[in-house]
Amino acid sequence: MAAMRMREALNAALREEMERDESVVLMGEDIAVFEGAFKVTQGLMDQFGERRVRDTPISENTIVGTGVGAAMAGLRPVVELMTVNFSLLAFDQIINHAAAIPYMFNGQVRVPLVIRMPGGGGHQLGPTHSHSFEAMFLQIPGLLVACPSTAADGKGLLKAAIRDDNPVIFVEHETLYGIRGEVPDDPDHIVDFGSAAVRREGGDVTIIGILKMAHEAERAAETLASEHGIEAEVIDPRTLRPLDLDTILESVRKTNRVVIVEEGWPHGGVGANLAALIQEQAFDHLDAPIQRVTGADVPMPYSKRLEQSAIPHPEHVVSAVLETMIGAKPRA
Amino acid sequence: MPRLSDSMEEGTVLGWMKAVGDEVAVGDELVEIETDKANMVYESDVAGTLVEILAEEGATLPIGEVIARVGEAGEAPAAGGNGGRPDAAPETEPEPEPAAPAVDEAEASEPAPAPTPPAREPGERIKASPLARRIAAERNVDLAALRGSGPGGRIIKADVEDAGAQPAPETAEPEPAAAAPPATAERPETARGAVEEVELTRLQQTVARRMAESKATAPHFYLTTEIDMSRAVEARARIKAAAGEGDVVPSFNDMVVKACAIALREFPRANGAYRDGRVEEYSRVNIGIAVAAQDALVVPTVFDADAKGLRQIAVESRRVAERVREGTITPPELSGGTFTVSNLGMFGVTSFSAVINPPQAGILAVGSIEEVPVVRDGAIVPGQRMTVNLACDHRILYGADGARFLARVRDLLEEPVFLAL
Repeated sequence: MAAMRMREALNAALREEMERDESVVLMGEDIAVFEGAFKVTQGLMDQFGERRVRDTPISENTIVGTGVGAAMAGLRPVVELMTVNFSLLAFDQIINHAAAIPYMFNGQVRVPLVIRMPGGGGHQLGPTHSHSFEAMFLQIPGLLVACPSTAADGKGLLKAAIRDDNPVIFVEHETLYGIRGEVPDDPDHIVDFGSAAVRREGGDVTIIGILKMAHEAERAAETLASEHGIEAEVIDPRTLRPLDLDTILESVRKTNRVVIVEEGWPHGGVGANLAALIQEQAFDHLDAPIQRVTGADVPMPYSKRLEQSAIPHPEHVVSAVLETMIGAKPRA
Repeated sequence: MPRLSDSMEEGTVLGWMKAVGDEVAVGDELVEIETDKANMVYESDVAGTLVEILAEEGATLPIGEVIARVGEAGEAPAAGGNGGRPDAAPETEPEPEPAAPAVDEAEASEPAPAPTPPAREPGERIKASPLARRIAAERNVDLAALRGSGPGGRIIKADVEDAGAQPAPETAEPEPAAAAPPATAERPETARGAVEEVELTRLQQTVARRMAESKATAPHFYLTTEIDMSRAVEARARIKAAAGEGDVVPSFNDMVVKACAIALREFPRANGAYRDGRVEEYSRVNIGIAVAAQDALVVPTVFDADAKGLRQIAVESRRVAERVREGTITPPELSGGTFTVSNLGMFGVTSFSAVINPPQAGILAVGSIEEVPVVRDGAIVPGQRMTVNLACDHRILYGADGARFLARVRDLLEEPVFLAL
């Protein structure tokens, strides 16, 4: 175990996988010489050379398209898009090609491609750099979607993504790059896709949070326990596709109440999708409507105050939990 | 939700006569409300613009809940829900709140309200969480009997568990070998044959609740006496003979009502109520007359019966009975009673005892007039006798008081000329 930041953990994952498998290559804007806008690729060009760590022009569709072609030809490319907003320029390659090709060719061709993209708000980067598009990628069959919230998960999920034969959308939250955590040294430390983490156990309500909101959910749970005597169970799904619905349903059957927290928009969001799945699978275990806490239904504002008010905070999670708890009796 | 009758605890909005945005004047018919007793049109006591309707048609709310807002004349209607549109445009103050509405913590941690019987329309959907429904089904708890403590009165798990129902027998899990009945809504035929469940109307629910409440809380005792009705029969025959075309002839029951009214004026305790640990005595003598309606029991009131003549009592009692049968009786005509007379004599019932209509002190149960041999001055002669039974709430009307009151009623009917005084 070693304490490291998320960006160091991601860097370690890339480094270890590149050492382990020489078909792993990196491409992206400013990732080589500049070592990445968020320094995730620090030192990798020096170690592995310009052939395996390549700077690209500012042309996202081409970056992803090159990655798709390289993956089809037998490499395991990891491409970086400087923010999730820029991924919109590459939707043709992501959706029409990366996601569809394995189906179009009946699995004869694989696309073992990882597309990393930092997203999320909180740094005053305005509406063209700060969004949360997990729900959009979640909708597309053929893509796996990873959303790490801790350094250990960042490393374990990125290694799993690189080793997976499917195209993976790997969403990194900008605010979490500096978060510290204990990370296993084991070069085969893998976090399996489709395995949720129960961050905190509790019997009164299930709070599901992704990315930064996994942390806000934990903070809310602490407040709920200390100020309201409510024991919340906090679950971080870690990957949205595949989704570990079993762990979520097991918790819902225990608590009968659910609050889902995400930074993305409310309509057609991750929470909307989860709420639908939960009510389909555990309708008879719900004692209150599922609550969602989401980002505001607006393009991300630039102004610091407006931006902060457009992002969920622990007090919003606490309010939503209290709403679901109206009339409920504390557990003995 | 306005209080439209004495015993009303909640009301159901049947229909709005004004729409949001309409101008409303004082006295305008605003909304039709079903109370525990009748359907009533509520007239606005304020003027302005109806800016918001909070209780949709079919909604049942306790007294005092806000059902609508009337604002200044010309005021714009309240903004509706967002409905999925993007939030406020940039030039307006942006709504900082994300999807989760804040809830007042004090409100959230308030203890659940004491369970009181809910009142729902027959066939009205019961709001219950899926979990509460499942547990209720497992434990054979009737959701209709529960009041929900969740938001909007939703029945949640805690309410079902508080109902203290018996856990289902272990055989709830059907064993493969046993031919367990299918767990469907279809009720199996029982030893009593097929079971047809009939939902109670609101009125029937009220009757059921108030009668059970009366027997459970008012210590009843009963006094019975036989009244010689020969002079009353004679008097009524004379009134009938003298009656002109269209004149209403008082019935024997009208005479009983009048006799009770006179006696009640003289015995204030009998014209009172036991309420919240004290005795109330009323200045008006208002007699309720139990009238059988379609599948229901309604008690319209003859107000100030002590001050009214026999004929007027007859006219009024016929009119209110008629309105009960037509279903046009209004809550004011059903409230304010200080004593009740119940008469089953027309069915040939010679005597019975009745349940006090709370919070009144007593109820007089009147049997039929029977032609019987009676002993008068040592000789057996034909007589006309009527048995009456006075049920008294012992908390306010004691044995001797009740007996004196009853004796006075008897004396008045045996010498009906006094009814005219």
